[in-house]
Amino acid sequence: MTRRRFHGSVLALLAATATPALAQEAHLSIGMAAPITSLDPHEDSNSPNNATSRHIWDSLINRGGAAENKPQLATEWEIVDDTHWRFKLREGVKFHDGSDFDAEDVVASLIRARDKESQAFASYTRNIAEVIAEDPHTVVVETTVPDPMILNSLSRIRIISSDYAEAGVAEFENGPAAVGTGPFKLVSYTPGDRIELERNDAYFDGPAQWSKVTLRLVPDDGGRLASLLAGDLDLIENLPAEGVTRVEGSDKLKVVRGQSTRLVYLGMDVARDESPFITAKDGSPLGSNPFKDARVRKALLMAMNREAIVDRVMQKNGTVAHQYVADGFFGHSGKVEEVSYDPEGAKALLAEAGYPDGFALTIHGPSGRYVNDSEVLQAAGQMLTRIGIDTKVEVLPWSVYSTKYSDGAYSLFLGSWGVNTGEVSNPALAVVAGRDADKGTGRYNGGGINVPEINTLLDQATATLDEAAREPLLQQVSDLTFNDTWLLPMHYENVVMGAKSGVEFTPRSDKYTLAYEVHGSTE
Amino acid sequence: MMTTLIRRAIQAGFVVFAMTLIVFVGVNVIGNPVDILINPDLNQAERLRVVQNLGLDQPLWRQYLSFLHGLSQGNFGDSFVYSKPALDVIVERLPATLELALCAMVIAIVVGLPLGLYAGLYPERLSSRLIMTGSILGFSLPTFWVGLMFILLFAVQLGWLPSNGRGETAEFLGARWSFLTGDGLAHLVLPALNLALFKTSLILRLTRAGVQEVVMQDFVKFARAKGLREGRIVLVHILKNLMIPVVTIIGLEFGSLIAFSVVTESIFGWPGMGKLIIDSINLLDRPVIVAYLMMMVVLFVSLNFIIDICYTLLDPRVRLDGKG
Repeated sequence: MTRRRFHGSVLALLAATATPALAQEAHLSIGMAAPITSLDPHEDSNSPNNATSRHIWDSLINRGGAAENKPQLATEWEIVDDTHWRFKLREGVKFHDGSDFDAEDVVASLIRARDKESQAFASYTRNIAEVIAEDPHTVVVETTVPDPMILNSLSRIRIISSDYAEAGVAEFENGPAAVGTGPFKLVSYTPGDRIELERNDAYFDGPAQWSKVTLRLVPDDGGRLASLLAGDLDLIENLPAEGVTRVEGSDKLKVVRGQSTRLVYLGMDVARDESPFITAKDGSPLGSNPFKDARVRKALLMAMNREAIVDRVMQKNGTVAHQYVADGFFGHSGKVEEVSYDPEGAKALLAEAGYPDGFALTIHGPSGRYVNDSEVLQAAGQMLTRIGIDTKVEVLPWSVYSTKYSDGAYSLFLGSWGVNTGEVSNPALAVVAGRDADKGTGRYNGGGINVPEINTLLDQATATLDEAAREPLLQQVSDLTFNDTWLLPMHYENVVMGAKSGVEFTPRSDKYTLAYEVHGSTE
Repeated sequence: MMTTLIRRAIQAGFVVFAMTLIVFVGVNVIGNPVDILINPDLNQAERLRVVQNLGLDQPLWRQYLSFLHGLSQGNFGDSFVYSKPALDVIVERLPATLELALCAMVIAIVVGLPLGLYAGLYPERLSSRLIMTGSILGFSLPTFWVGLMFILLFAVQLGWLPSNGRGETAEFLGARWSFLTGDGLAHLVLPALNLALFKTSLILRLTRAGVQEVVMQDFVKFARAKGLREGRIVLVHILKNLMIPVVTIIGLEFGSLIAFSVVTESIFGWPGMGKLIIDSINLLDRPVIVAYLMMMVVLFVSLNFIIDICYTLLDPRVRLDGKG
């Protein structure tokens, strides 16, 4: 709501200063930091693909910038019973090729996304048992189990025209199948280079401000920055840290900041009795795994000067984290103790736990996967050394690291989770819940965390539809995880973008850059 | 000549075959593509389904055999990342790389050869010394730095040329090319110059060294004594005799321009194949890596063959079948 009001006021301001009104010619060029892999909206689920598909297609539910559920192609919905949801569809909506949108399209799209061989959207569609069109403007979604996350899931799945339910990837990329109901129509797609879009004047929520939008794929940091400086691009994602001063110093450009939901944390091996990368300082076996002791884990966290890491290493492109999600997101708990930097206290705790002289440790992390990941890990290593833990740092390419860390190869490792649902159950199920192949929990639980209370709470939360009853369960998950320091929360990555001074955009927590939400002027 | 061609083709076949083996084993050693490609939210059953769909549940030798089987029918397999035939993924980026490499090579030859001739014929002149000093800069400055400087100077400060991307394209021979439109040409200038810089210096220095060697030889002295015009001596007697090493280098460098212009392509956001191969290695997209490397083997073998034919044209003593 606040966002809408904000945009409203920007528009009012624009009208008052007699800058171009809505339906005029205006061109916007956005520099995307990661290339898309496909224009088929159900083929692959990664943020650049999903952000791009939101320009052309709509979903039943509109996921807002702060992860709230709002109507889009569904105008209202109700819970029929534990496993049935009824959605009223918006009437009078047309696809870009002029055909009418109705319940058949919803059925075709949800089933197509569920049954695609790539299974990219399986985490959203796995609970969909059946989709029934009751009449042309009503659908009922039947789930296999009570699924409290179904609205979020439906916000992820784009609704394509049922005419193209059988179409393959090529038909989407070369045009004919790429017709949606969204604010922009596809003009052309050049792999590795750009996507050209034009305004859908008949968009149900009002036409976009931009008659023509170019999404440029510029993964190279230097190239993206240079294009902004040269005026070729109006808005760029991931403004590199080296460019911040330059952009701030220019009166034609500005830095746009926002907080994302990507949590960066350090995980610890808390399962094994002896951990492979922990030894006594002389290299002999230590005979125990110190990370099994909650006092040692807390000492590690107290050793971290996270303010300094965020300020210097991350160049303010992060915000110190204390739990899964920041204040305002679903499942954030007020009862999580915020541990601050205290090296002396950390040493005392280590001594109390029986390690007065510390031990030797090798920590691992990826390089180039997260913002300044290897630098963050090096800083963390130095801070651990300062409390008496002799720490060596090893970084590996993501293609090597990704398998090993989730399989639990390391003693202390850098991990990260983009909380794309904006609530606690998503990261907790993947990273902290006990590993269970059948339930699909704990896939990225590389430390072997297995706390029965947390597992039980998560089981309850994933089966509770009532949001009011669900939130306290998730808050308890936050309390248990972080008050016992099962993870060392480091920071949330910030969204840092560069823009021309006249461009107005509020970064979204999912990091999608949506031209429809960009306003202002590119002059 | 025909027998040579066939022999070369057989050799190429062996190299390609060895390469597919190396890539298959190599990619598996780096890491498991499954962990990179599959959405982290998937549960075990869904994961298994994708793995089976990609054929990664089979033992490596069986994956390799089914790859060979597909290959015999001209099918390189589908890209893991782009979900379409690997060859299509590569071929749709081929025109961009080709035109960039060609432009850079033309610039390098047109600038490097005359300057090298000049510097070799008149080594004592101040202008020759300047050219030689310039060429040292040309091949010692790192490409990425020069590229960024070009962008800063011509795009950011002066605003004459676009900084990034391929610009407008026009259709020709079924592919889209930049050099046919004004906007496309403007986009092409900086990356082509950037790529050409090193090659120009290389050709220049090679030519100069060649000239200095040939100039001292008896037949040049004799031609002078016979009273031939200087222009004819330079163009026919000197140039032709120093071309063999130059042609070799041009051929090989052209290959490397096509295959490995990753740095320039990244800095200038040029959607070519060099960037594709690096991305594919990072994502362990094996079908694309294999198909790409196979194409490159064929490319280099063909280039070498063309170079050999050029030798016979330049030097009548050279025989391809080794009989003469």
